[in-house]
Amino acid sequence: MILFASGLGLILLGGLAAFGLDRRPALADRVFQWSAVAGCLLALAPALSLLFGGGRWIGGPVDSIPAGPDALFGIDLLSAWFLPVVLGVGGTIVAYGVPYLRPERGHRRVGLAHLVLAVLLVALSGVVTARTIVAFLASWEVMAVAAWLLMIFEHEKRETWDAGMVYLVLTHACTLALIGMFAVWRGGLADWRFAQLTPSASSGPVATGLILSLGLIGFGIKAGAFPFHFWLPGAHAAAPSHVSALLSGIMLKVGIYGLCRMIALLGPPPAWWGWIVLLMGLASSVLGVLWALAQHDLKRLLAYHSVENIGIILMGLGLGALGTAYHQPALALLGVAGALLHTLNHALFKSLLFLGAGAVVRETGHREIDHLGGLGRPMPRTAFAFLIGSIAIVGLPPLNGFVSEWWIFRGLLGAGLASGGLRAAVVMAVGLALTGALALACFSKLFGVVFLGTPRDESAGPRAPAESDLIGPQAALAASCVVIGVAPGLIAPSVARIAGLILSQPEGGATLGALGSALPLSLLSAVLVLLIGLGWLARRWTLVRRLRRSSTTWACGYARATGRMQYTASSYASPLLAAFGPVSGIRQVRTQASFHTRAIEPVLDLLGRPLWSRVVAAAVRLRPLQAGTMRWYLLYAILCLLGLLLYLQFAGLP
Amino acid sequence: MQPFHDVLLLLVVLTNFWVLGTTRLSSMIRAAAMQGLLLAALPVALYPHVSLHIVGLAIGTLLVKAVVLPHFLTRAIREAAVRREIEPLIGFTASLILGAAAVALSFAITPRLELPDTPSGVLIPVALSTVIIGLLVLTTRNKALTQVVGYLILENGIYVFGLSQAERVPFLVEVGVLLDVFAGVFIMGIVVFHINREFDSLDSARLTELRD
Amino acid sequence: MSLTAALGLLAVLLLAPALPGIANRVKSVVTGRRGAPVLQLYADLWKSWRKGAVYSPTTTILFRLGPVVMVCTALLAAGLLPLDGTTSPIRFTGDLVAFAGLLALGRFMLVLSALDTGSSFEGMGASREVTFAVFAEPALILCFTVFVVATGDLRLQGMLGQPLTHTWVATAPSLLLGAASLFIVSLAETNRVPIDDPLTHLELTMVHEVMVLDHSGPDLALILYASALKMALFGSLVVRVLVAAAAVSTPMALGLLLIGLVVYAMAVGVVESVMARLRMNHVPQLLVGASATAGFGLILLLR
Repeated sequence: MILFASGLGLILLGGLAAFGLDRRPALADRVFQWSAVAGCLLALAPALSLLFGGGRWIGGPVDSIPAGPDALFGIDLLSAWFLPVVLGVGGTIVAYGVPYLRPERGHRRVGLAHLVLAVLLVALSGVVTARTIVAFLASWEVMAVAAWLLMIFEHEKRETWDAGMVYLVLTHACTLALIGMFAVWRGGLADWRFAQLTPSASSGPVATGLILSLGLIGFGIKAGAFPFHFWLPGAHAAAPSHVSALLSGIMLKVGIYGLCRMIALLGPPPAWWGWIVLLMGLASSVLGVLWALAQHDLKRLLAYHSVENIGIILMGLGLGALGTAYHQPALALLGVAGALLHTLNHALFKSLLFLGAGAVVRETGHREIDHLGGLGRPMPRTAFAFLIGSIAIVGLPPLNGFVSEWWIFRGLLGAGLASGGLRAAVVMAVGLALTGALALACFSKLFGVVFLGTPRDESAGPRAPAESDLIGPQAALAASCVVIGVAPGLIAPSVARIAGLILSQPEGGATLGALGSALPLSLLSAVLVLLIGLGWLARRWTLVRRLRRSSTTWACGYARATGRMQYTASSYASPLLAAFGPVSGIRQVRTQASFHTRAIEPVLDLLGRPLWSRVVAAAVRLRPLQAGTMRWYLLYAILCLLGLLLYLQFAGLP
Repeated sequence: MQPFHDVLLLLVVLTNFWVLGTTRLSSMIRAAAMQGLLLAALPVALYPHVSLHIVGLAIGTLLVKAVVLPHFLTRAIREAAVRREIEPLIGFTASLILGAAAVALSFAITPRLELPDTPSGVLIPVALSTVIIGLLVLTTRNKALTQVVGYLILENGIYVFGLSQAERVPFLVEVGVLLDVFAGVFIMGIVVFHINREFDSLDSARLTELRD
Repeated sequence: MSLTAALGLLAVLLLAPALPGIANRVKSVVTGRRGAPVLQLYADLWKSWRKGAVYSPTTTILFRLGPVVMVCTALLAAGLLPLDGTTSPIRFTGDLVAFAGLLALGRFMLVLSALDTGSSFEGMGASREVTFAVFAEPALILCFTVFVVATGDLRLQGMLGQPLTHTWVATAPSLLLGAASLFIVSLAETNRVPIDDPLTHLELTMVHEVMVLDHSGPDLALILYASALKMALFGSLVVRVLVAAAAVSTPMALGLLLIGLVVYAMAVGVVESVMARLRMNHVPQLLVGASATAGFGLILLLR
């Protein structure tokens, strides 16, 4: 724990240095970057030793009763899985964020932003390692507020402020739900430790149901599941790109961490909860990727994809809950293992994509993809990293997205072979296939329109191609995607152990073998890469002896094509969106002289905003109560006192 | 191999999907005629011991559902010069998905219904899903002729329900059902003709314009 | 890997270019023409392979990599199928997901190499291709689900091999519905009528052909071969489901598969001659109808 605490301290120190040394920007940047990365690695070491070295906890087990400061924070297997997500990916984000914000130094408070970033990282680590309710909620709140501060970095823009407000309202609704959940769970016990939140502490199915529902709402809002996702697109698009990477890659995952910890402490949930989570996951994944397809703002599109991937993770968790409820531990293990691995995978490739998007936005100054094009030539390394991220997020072999989706598919298809009510879950496999195909459409559109072809808007040409300082973190993330995709056997045993822990399955049970060997997948990936390599060599060897010429794109003889005649992103997506009709979140705006389509956020615009304006209208009607004169306030105080006396009078009656 | 009546019932479900998915009215009427043919063969397949009752039922159904009604509807199409159905209220794709969901629902809830035993385990679910799909076509389509076809499918579903009890219920009920269908279609045919004459179109949304 | 499995793989790889030829020949004969020779595609492949290539300066390495990835993924996917009715060269639990994933990877690289040219025609073809794929992929997985539930095995070797023969009679209606649905999906994935007309020469009406307008020489040969191989793969799926009804020895099963592939190509030719191409908006309808059919087969198994 000393190592862990000193690592976090180092990060915080770096942040303070960045804030304090604002006058000497070069020094501040270097100090912050090095100390933050070193701090992350230092704090990560204990977690990695747990994951790969065996052992079950550091700083005391969750269900023991030590006294003293160790009782506040500690690392067990579940925390050890989420710490690489927080600190590993967080470290690369810091390494990217420092050079990314350097051009902003003149006109914005960059030092403050770095400090808040450090605080956010420490708070995130606190959330996943908290052992008592107070520590958990305190870290949670610090994390939420720090995220808000980072989000409104460009606060002079109207939409940024608006998005920040929506986020703030929702994150406090989430905290409220969590406080409610802990209140019901704790009952009247004096102890605040997680160790006391055993299954026996919650009395009866009604209380358990309430705890599970409140937990699902609270953690669901933070994770960005449908229908609570509507704060996500605005917030992640408005934030600076490295903060978007952090929000999408890491902060959504603490919602998932909360759900896992809740199930681990409470015991296997009932079947109805599993069905709700599974359906929420299906809705999030299909609708998330469909609405992503409708966007043409680069970062909003990536934000909606986070909703989709959270949906996939929820499908895995729901399958885990259902498997345990229907006595199919092998299927449950597959579901939860897939969900856990997808958590790590998504953190990796979503951060990679956001960092790449940040590089693109910095180079061209545009976030609308219809103004971009042909960026593969001036920014080849960013394009390559973005391609790796795209292939990974669509879930294609041989990268890491495929492995987690493979486990979840196996679980869902296996459900069809079970007996009883679980058999209906096999239809969800079709939903998973649908999201995969939609993701393929969306990312072929994104990558093709942004990096391939020719520029659509000549003014959006790249400025100084200074991608060298931003490429390092992206390369690290891309390499991790490839490693996990090609060699999943390295982490599969750890994932199986943690999944068993979450599902309260006995240690070393027979079901740990249910994941099976990941070796065939590695072999398949290796053979695929080998075949492609051989094919490429064969092609090169053939073409050496052939005549090769260069000429403009033929396209059936239309030699005068300009960049503007290429397919735009909206036209690319329009047949698909038309096929889905009103669900697609596109509204057509027609005037006498113009026609354009506008992508709306359906839940926010059709449900959230009207509801909010009605609440505000009702609140306005209550305004006369705040008359402003002392007399009325005294009257209120007297009425309140009278009411309490009457209550005491009548409550004492038998 | 599956018993013959089960194959017939499965083909009935496929014709329902055909009606849900097609845009051409003539194709829809052909599907309804095919369904009539299958339903005519059904009593003979379900109750193999030949009696006058069963044979009469089969021949009557064949004549009415597979010959007379489709012919009448085809004539109505030609007179109204309508060929295609326009995009319905909920879209063709959504109709297909809802139809598949209706079939799943029927199969799921049939074991819970307290029914006397039937000669085939697939009979009640298929009847229920046919009724639901008939109602679906009736309520979501725009052209009056398609709504007539939906009504026919609904009556077919009720007929299949009735077949499950054909042994125990007197002959009169079957005649009543067939007469009901015949009368309904006859009336709707006249109404269609008059609508077309009045408005030069068969869009039932325009019926709201019927005012004095 | 057994001898018959290796032989089967080799046979299908060699036979694949004959299948589009058979389909086109049947189509010509039905419409009263003589038509091109059945082995025309072999000649086309040889001709293209020996030619040089023209590359546009707009294109990057993705344009050159696309055809290679298409062929490699189709080859690897072929290795997952039990072509001799008993064993597949590559097998592991859940390899049906890998089958779909590999073909999706091929499609992704093809679409990217089309967008790489910066031409609006290729962009249009790419847009249509991914739109149809959104409806074809779930239909394919639904058909696979029918076979998984029917045989209780999560590997393609089990879903299309011996376990399928054992349960064939009991689950025949669902299997036939699944096979019918697979046939429609195969028409969509191989870009044939009624989804796409491979013989049209109007760019605005093309889907697959327009994506490969700029490929030439060996690249074009690779793409033509990959398309023929995909047709062979999907044909093998349909034929295996139907042929599994007969419990025969392994070499006999392989022979039946090859004969079945020829019959499949002829059936595709007949369908192409009888049907006209669907309007693009109606293609999702057709594919959802195919999914509903397979879904109905699944409902029959799950009750």
